[in-house]
Amino acid sequence: MNKLTIALAKGRLGEEGLRLFENTELEIVREINSRKLVFNNEAGEVSYIFVKPSDVVTYVEKGVADIGIVGKDVILESQSDVYEIMDLKFGKCQFAIAGFRNQKLNKKNEILKIASKYPNYVQKIFAGRDQKIEVIKLNGSVELAPLMKLSDVIVDIVETGNTLRDNGLVVLESLEDISARLIVNKVSYRFKYEKIQMIEKLLGGIL
Amino acid sequence: MVFYVFEMGEISMKYKSIEEELKVTKFRKVLEKKLEAYFEDRGYSFIDPKIFQNYDEFICSNYRIDSKKTVKVLSGQSDVYILRPDITMSILGKVLNKWDKDKLLKVYYNSKIYLNDESLNIGEYKQMGVESFGVDSLEADQEMIDMAIALMKQSEIPFILELGSSKYLDGYFKSLDLDQESEKKITELISKKNRNEMKNLEFRSSLMDNILDMQGDMDSVLTKAREFSLNEEMESALDELEALKDFFESNNLTTWIHFDLSMVPDLDYYDGIIFKGYYFESSKKILSGGRYDKLTEKLGKRVASIGFSIDMDELVRIKLEESER
Repeated sequence: MNKLTIALAKGRLGEEGLRLFENTELEIVREINSRKLVFNNEAGEVSYIFVKPSDVVTYVEKGVADIGIVGKDVILESQSDVYEIMDLKFGKCQFAIAGFRNQKLNKKNEILKIASKYPNYVQKIFAGRDQKIEVIKLNGSVELAPLMKLSDVIVDIVETGNTLRDNGLVVLESLEDISARLIVNKVSYRFKYEKIQMIEKLLGGIL
Repeated sequence: MVFYVFEMGEISMKYKSIEEELKVTKFRKVLEKKLEAYFEDRGYSFIDPKIFQNYDEFICSNYRIDSKKTVKVLSGQSDVYILRPDITMSILGKVLNKWDKDKLLKVYYNSKIYLNDESLNIGEYKQMGVESFGVDSLEADQEMIDMAIALMKQSEIPFILELGSSKYLDGYFKSLDLDQESEKKITELISKKNRNEMKNLEFRSSLMDNILDMQGDMDSVLTKAREFSLNEEMESALDELEALKDFFESNNLTTWIHFDLSMVPDLDYYDGIIFKGYYFESSKKILSGGRYDKLTEKLGKRVASIGFSIDMDELVRIKLEESER
């Protein structure tokens, strides 16, 4: 009943998340260059699973993992039913609408074409605006879309703005701030409340 | 061998053969009969809810339901109806029309709701539940929670009943002068237990800094909640919980109950106690309910009303797994 499963995003965000648990009782030792996807700590009280960022939310929502570390961008896109108990303050960036300089976001009767990896989020952002849109779902290199005339603008996360600049694009409107979050399955939250509070304290959420 | 495909809010079972499917259906029927017998025993009568509901009426009283999720149909006169996304509303439609004062009414149902799932296909979800009308508040609150716990006890699996009151937060919002948009935003953050973003809001208060810590054992929650109570409505929410606490203590029910005043109901129509039941190792709530007198008032007649529903798809899955162990 006391075993805890933590889902982490493969890649930089997950590695940074794992670092939070270094020198704590939840620390794990990994073999270098291992391709294993599941790791247990020494006491066997906690296991970490490494999955695709967008799957972290799914694993937590379905209760396969009790808690997860994932970017706010993924949470906003997935609209899932999990608790989001902590801002971990790393992996900071920002959602933004970007396009060519002087590109208008209000095209009156014309349809604004938006390319994004985050179609649900785009729909939500434009829901209250008086502008018809067409969302084009892409899986990467979103900046290419306006250059190739696939779309008028893009909605994506922006960290330094270098990629935009190199492709001649600018931020037209800044949206939500993004950072890594600690999410928890609703049932796990109830049954493992003490343990989760302990982790929240450990990570500096409750003072 | 049965395996499950998890969908948003639903478990659709895929069977290897028709025999397998019939076996599971039989298992479900036995369970349903047991629950029906229990409800009959406690003095509840079977009611068959209407399948269609007027679209406008539903949307008016449940602003947190995404209208995209409801399944719409057109009548011959081109009026928009929805296939019931919720059973309580459709029972109320029946009951309130023919309501006269001083009546007591206890009903149970064994039915289905319809909602579009994540990929916007129509999903069918089995629910059983009870509603009690016209019964004095505390007495009915006690009976509901007693029944909810009795039902969850039918399994060997550990369970928790999460209990709060929608009146505490509602009362709090009444003492503030917030526009609907901000209130919705704050409610959303509380429902996600999102401490950090609450702290970043322009609007802050000591209650909001503390609301997420108002959970756990009953005494400490009530003491803490009293400190931040601002008006009569919040006080009365706590008085009701206090009275229930005495009932739980004298009936040895405290083991299963976790107070949580930061609970936000899934539907907007509750005013009074709200509760959710969880089984260990299940990934979602199995049972949920609460008091909703406010809704009846909105529909024309204020009647003391409380009830809960059981997610039968999830319950069958859990019990089946338990029986195969």
